[in-house]
Amino acid sequence: MLRRYLKLLGVQLKASGLQALQYRADFLTDGATSLAWTFTALAPLLVVYGERPSIAGWTFGEALLVVGWFTLLQGVLEGAINPSLTGVVEHIRKGTLDFVLLKPADAQFLVSTQRFLPWRAINVLTGVGLFIYAFWKLGRWPSGLGLLASGVLLCTSTLLLYSLWILTVSAAFVVVRVDNLTYFFTSIFDAARWPASVFRGGLALFFTFVIPLALMTTYPAEAMLGRLPWQSLVGAVLGSMVFAWVARRVWLRSIGHYTSASS
Amino acid sequence: MISVRGLRKHYKVHKRPPGLKAALRSLVHRSYSTVKAVDGISFDIRPGERVGFLGPNGAGKTTTLKVLAGLLHPSEGEVRVDGHVPRLREDAFLKKIMLVMGQKQQLLWDLPPAETFELNRAIYDVPRAQYKQTLDELVGLLELEDLIGKPTRQLSLGERMKCELAAALIHRPRVLFLDEPTIGLDVAMQATMRTFIKSYNERYGATLILTSHYMDDVAALCPRVIVIDKGLLSYDGSLEALVQRVRPEKRVVLRLAEPVDDARLAPLGKVVSHEPGMAVLQVHQEAVNATISRALASLTVTDLTVENAPLEEVMGELFAEGKARRAAAEGTP
Repeated sequence: MLRRYLKLLGVQLKASGLQALQYRADFLTDGATSLAWTFTALAPLLVVYGERPSIAGWTFGEALLVVGWFTLLQGVLEGAINPSLTGVVEHIRKGTLDFVLLKPADAQFLVSTQRFLPWRAINVLTGVGLFIYAFWKLGRWPSGLGLLASGVLLCTSTLLLYSLWILTVSAAFVVVRVDNLTYFFTSIFDAARWPASVFRGGLALFFTFVIPLALMTTYPAEAMLGRLPWQSLVGAVLGSMVFAWVARRVWLRSIGHYTSASS
Repeated sequence: MISVRGLRKHYKVHKRPPGLKAALRSLVHRSYSTVKAVDGISFDIRPGERVGFLGPNGAGKTTTLKVLAGLLHPSEGEVRVDGHVPRLREDAFLKKIMLVMGQKQQLLWDLPPAETFELNRAIYDVPRAQYKQTLDELVGLLELEDLIGKPTRQLSLGERMKCELAAALIHRPRVLFLDEPTIGLDVAMQATMRTFIKSYNERYGATLILTSHYMDDVAALCPRVIVIDKGLLSYDGSLEALVQRVRPEKRVVLRLAEPVDDARLAPLGKVVSHEPGMAVLQVHQEAVNATISRALASLTVTDLTVENAPLEEVMGELFAEGKARRAAAEGTP
């Protein structure tokens, strides 16, 4: 079973790679866009830290780590999650989801792996570059255990992002046009460039439990710094699994109600 | 192979009158109505049969097809395809069927069709050797050699449709659901598709259900037709018997050596069309022989053929009958 799906993933990745190669110019434009976005992501940070040495307990170097995680996850989101799931919305609108549902393989797997934008890996590299710069600024290096924990958190963050997207896409079965929802989601994700402790009160609760941005960027940064309590790590792993489970249930319910588009 | 008992598919749709005021009102208070897309139909199809679904637009043909393919869940009734309940969408069931829709496509737009074939091979878990054999066969029969290497977006509609058909047959399905497979194609391409579909059915003993607006498709492929009108089954039997029932008259086409008056044609039968050199008469089946003898005796006929009325006309009449019957039942004129 697992082998079959790994094989399928390989075939889907190959098709995406081939599609990406059809449009080589995208490589340059994507690369340039990604670099430009990284600098715009840094701009507010530079402005804020120009005035004071630390914000909500985070120094400039430490906050850079959060931006690094933000950039890296943006690469994952835009390269591996967004393209496929935006495709689903299109499928639902045009009724071509019929073809996906007729295939003898898990429909959620098929729609989630149908398209990758390999050029967006540039964001991932930029994120890693920011980590190196941040630690150089801090004048120290992360511990092996810290790196391991942040690796685990990378998986939980990806799972969280993916689950949030599946939930968004499931809404497309009911409302059909979810462009607004996807924009809404992208703009909220933007808040993940700040350390979670910057937000207070209602916002802090919202970004922890409803759209868990804190788990996505602040936790891995703290793990790298070696100051994330182990309970938070366990909480993040369990939390992301709960999110994934809920997303799966909602997805299955949604395709049960799929009405297909008339021909 | 296929058994359908009391199938019903009802939709709840949001309804509102036109206009801004009504639109604003519907934001708060929504009214719904039930659309009976399919309203209690039953039939059986034997393995290897070729069956055409006929009916006007919105009759429930595609809905029935989608229920059979497992895409839509029936509101009521029992459906089985080769022992499977379609709505459960078991892998074993999905590997046996295929659905081609003339108005939708599964081919990857930016890549050559060969890539979609390869993707389907992986998804359907087709062994390499069988894949190669099937593909060679499809490429030969549908003349795809020059097409499968070109990006799909560069192919013409007809070329794309041939590749769509090939992509759907990679796993050698035993049940074929074809929803308007020749829509928009030119006459020659329609004929190619028909010949191919028929040869696949004969070769693999595959069961076939077709919906099409082109009566030629149905006449060439389907010895049996099921007529669905307003979600109800109004006829199930041979196409020939249907034509007999709706239009028992035959058409006698006369080619004439010299011009004749309408007055000379009228006693022979109902004149359907008359132009210099040719006349078409409509006569009751039993009167065909007598009419021919009288025509040969009274006119200088150079050629003569006896035909059924065009299928489009027969169907038009059948659907009009259905509408009139429903109107009468509802008590409206």
